[in-house]
Amino acid sequence: MQTLLKILLRYSNFLVFLLLEVAAFLLISMNSAYPRSSILSTANEFVAWQNAVVSDIRGYFNLRAQNEQLAAENVALRNRITSMDSEENAAVIHYESAKVVQMTTDRLHNYLTINRGSKDGIQRGQGIRNEEGVVGIVKTVGPHYSVVLPVINTMSNISCRFAKNDYLGTLKWDGKDNRFALLADVSAHMVVNPGDTIITSGLSPVFPEGIPVGIVENSTLKEGDSYHTICVRLSTNFKRLKYVEVVQNADQKELEELTNGMD
Amino acid sequence: MEWTKQFGRYALIMLLQVLLFDQLQLWGACHPYIYILCLLMMQITLPHNVDMLIGAAVGLIMDVFCNSLGVHMAACILIMFIRPYLLGSIVNDKDRLNEQISLRAIGIEALIKYAVILVVIHHLTVFSLAAWSWQHIGFVLLETVVSSIITLTVIIAYNFVEYR
Repeated sequence: MQTLLKILLRYSNFLVFLLLEVAAFLLISMNSAYPRSSILSTANEFVAWQNAVVSDIRGYFNLRAQNEQLAAENVALRNRITSMDSEENAAVIHYESAKVVQMTTDRLHNYLTINRGSKDGIQRGQGIRNEEGVVGIVKTVGPHYSVVLPVINTMSNISCRFAKNDYLGTLKWDGKDNRFALLADVSAHMVVNPGDTIITSGLSPVFPEGIPVGIVENSTLKEGDSYHTICVRLSTNFKRLKYVEVVQNADQKELEELTNGMD
Repeated sequence: MEWTKQFGRYALIMLLQVLLFDQLQLWGACHPYIYILCLLMMQITLPHNVDMLIGAAVGLIMDVFCNSLGVHMAACILIMFIRPYLLGSIVNDKDRLNEQISLRAIGIEALIKYAVILVVIHHLTVFSLAAWSWQHIGFVLLETVVSSIITLTVIIAYNFVEYR
């Protein structure tokens, strides 16, 4: 017993080192699997407040571009109101506008923080879009701020289809260029042309059907491949993302419970 | 008094990291983490365990700002673990290690050796843990080289300004 204690004491530094590293790795794996804690992310009140201040200061330097974007958004919104009555989704889907207070675009795991949280009815798993197209999915929710996993994050996964013939695919990101993403799972027998429009599939309650995702930039099909390698030019310009809308589907919970019950 | 001054200076460096260096968007691969200046310049008079705990705390704070829970923490604990052994092997005059690690205390040659090794280890750990797959190894290495150069420049410059 005494020798054991002696050994432990002798190597206590190394043991503390190991223990701390194990704790760090637990946090890493927790964060990628299922992030629960909004305190330990940019949805944290203080961090988000600080980011909001920085983004306000930076905002003064590109007011002109923002005004143009807002004007364009107004036009598009007005158009949407007129077509709203015909949309069968209109009753279940509600849009909540939000401002992007922090975002990175040049890393492998990019995130953005928006100034809406659980107090505004935001929930984990809700979709985020803007006038241009799909932006991402809510990952962590704090009381007043939320963290969003955008399309340009290597962990992102969004169900899409071709506008021309309803063929399905999955949108992923390879971490290289924030203007392009990859469309996976498109079978080789399907004909893909540059310029084909990709939209959301509407198969999950996260996004309603038909939100623009992007346009096929090029596609390659090697001999023997069973799937196309498709590069999609994203409709959303992540470099100047300022205002977004949260897609709140009143039926999302019910739909998810139903599908979860299946497995 | 000495401790409050040091703490204030470190808080300022953390702010600089979050407000300025985290906002940099240069060439897509430049993410310098100058905040480890606080850890590198700390005196090694504290017990080794306490050193590592401080590293863990500083790393955790950075993680909150970067949405990368655990990544900075792991890297900071690692460099705080290596630090005393590294200093012991590159600084001959052990009396010099009783004050803050600096240009004045250990000399330019030892300082550069010390900073290069720890900065590269820290940055490589952060970027590879954040990528979490071999698929992006090329990008991770590029990110490490570019960011380490910027971080090292800041650390050396800081030493020249503070401890000429």
